[in-house]
Amino acid sequence: MAAENETTSPREEPPKALVMAVQIIDNVVGRGSGLLFAGLVLPMVGGLCYEVFARYLFNAPTIWAYDVTYMLYGSHFMLGAAYTLYKGSHIRTDMLYENFPLRWKGRVDATMYLVFFFPGMLFFMLAGWDEAMHAWGIGERSDASPWRPIIYPFKTVVAVAAALLIIQGVSEFLKSAYAAIKGEPLIEVEPPALRGDII
Amino acid sequence: MSPEYLGLILLVALITCIFIGFPIAFTLIILAVVFGYIGFGKVVFFLMFFQTWQIMKEETLAAVPLFIFMGHILEQAGLMERLFLSFQFILARVKGSLFLGVLFVSTIFATATGIIGASVTVMGLLAAPAMMRSRYNTALSAGVITAGGCLGILIPPSVLLVVLGPVVGVSVVQLFAAAIVPGLILSGLYFGYTFVRCQLNPDLGPPLPEEEHPESFFVVIREFFLGIVPLAVVVFAALGSIIAGLATPTEAAAMAALGALLLTALYGRLNFSMLREATLSTLATSSMVLFLAVASNIYGSVFARLGTATLITDTMLALPVSPMAMIIILMAVIFVLGWPLEWPAIVLIFVPIFLPVVEALQSDPDNPLLPGIEPQHAMVWFCTLVAVNLQTAFLSPPVAMAAYYLKGVAPEWELSDIYNGMLQFMILQVVGLLVVLFYPEVALWLPRVIFGG
Repeated sequence: MAAENETTSPREEPPKALVMAVQIIDNVVGRGSGLLFAGLVLPMVGGLCYEVFARYLFNAPTIWAYDVTYMLYGSHFMLGAAYTLYKGSHIRTDMLYENFPLRWKGRVDATMYLVFFFPGMLFFMLAGWDEAMHAWGIGERSDASPWRPIIYPFKTVVAVAAALLIIQGVSEFLKSAYAAIKGEPLIEVEPPALRGDII
Repeated sequence: MSPEYLGLILLVALITCIFIGFPIAFTLIILAVVFGYIGFGKVVFFLMFFQTWQIMKEETLAAVPLFIFMGHILEQAGLMERLFLSFQFILARVKGSLFLGVLFVSTIFATATGIIGASVTVMGLLAAPAMMRSRYNTALSAGVITAGGCLGILIPPSVLLVVLGPVVGVSVVQLFAAAIVPGLILSGLYFGYTFVRCQLNPDLGPPLPEEEHPESFFVVIREFFLGIVPLAVVVFAALGSIIAGLATPTEAAAMAALGALLLTALYGRLNFSMLREATLSTLATSSMVLFLAVASNIYGSVFARLGTATLITDTMLALPVSPMAMIIILMAVIFVLGWPLEWPAIVLIFVPIFLPVVEALQSDPDNPLLPGIEPQHAMVWFCTLVAVNLQTAFLSPPVAMAAYYLKGVAPEWELSDIYNGMLQFMILQVVGLLVVLFYPEVALWLPRVIFGG
């Protein structure tokens, strides 16, 4: 990276509007959604621990812990997918990619965002939207437990997750397109140090 | 063109696209939609939602974020430092003491957490400077740290096994029980290997200089108990309650996370910014694994509906090889796949493709894979093999992530030395894999003792 910067002196200023658009998306959708949804793991811990205590200490298992757990868990990772995209943590095979120069990384990514990512996520969002609308329409309830909580808000998570991914994807596309054309990064991003940190 | 062959093209398209380097999850989704639409029309959109919904409602998988969260919290508690220091003191006079200390700490931590990246990094930060000061052999040092760190994903609780369970359709609890003995065997092989090598050639790991010895025996005992007793409580909370059937893996993961939070609070390390960072890392890591699970589930269902899964199974079963040879072939394929791909991709995309083959092999009445073993237990054995096999992938140069983690925290070490060390331990892992392969009892004994049958 350092060597590349030295050879491409002096750096041309990228258009302000472009930088701003990318930064707004990154902060509001990428980081913002991350901060918002990362905390869901805490009530997950709390609910399950309460269930265990209730079962063994008070001999009174809860009726809600099962449903609440999968709803929190499902919302957590689906709604967190946009943050994960922003952090560059979705698994990619970097055997070849790692060795590409920045310009080529940009070309690969920009093309794939247009051809693969946006159409795929659009279909994903529409499929989720249809199901959510249907569930709202009939006031669907869960059949997974006797508690039978309403399930339509949870079904809406799919469409919302896809929408967040698409918005964050716009920022990622702009960054990679800029890198593809100019051969330098649009904004300085911290390297994805924790990429696949559990591998 | 018949749908089965469309599916084959889908597989080839996937493998090609994976290597370009775009995030795999999104590649899977679009390929599944396009090929599914060509193959069987609009149903694919319903299928896409349904498969996503299936993963979102799988309560067992809620253990993934919980175990990851627990690992990130424990890492902050500073327990590793304590444990490592106490082992360093206890073993100060032994040849290769730092190696053995790293292996002890790694094995103990592997029983507490299910993540590896963190522990290779933390162990590297802790042990590498001490090893350099004491003029330890670089390759062996790097090998011990990386191999020890990777134990975390095999020895339960392990995130890999939590993901593998629902994919294969066997209980996570059985998998946990099955992985314990193979995990300890690997750990034992590492111990034996380093110990013997240091005895033969003390220059590899000389005893520590006098100033690194403990002041008094009391200090050793205090550090040891302060370090190990609280951790043992958390380990019991997690693993013990699962194995004893007191809690589901998901509940146990939550209890362990609570235990880790309490421990961190007791050590005075719990604060808001640390908690925020831990939850954010947890979000990124679990979303990475689970969103890929969603995408693979969509892909897998299209693949199966096109009939290609059956085609592949039939073709493989028609090969004129014995059942055991077939398993060895599958293991070789997984080993090779583990080179460019990370484990979530292999477990979620490729294991489901091989699964019907293993099932068919076991249910053959004339020549079963494991005679006299229940089909369900044969799958447990196969899963254990996959998990041990993927260990090897973590250590196989030149794409093993463990090497980069270590290089990141020990920049003085040459990458070639790190690879050299990893290679030595990779050979030990292959030995471990062969043991599980030819002596299935290694994996099946403990589940039988605990759960009967």
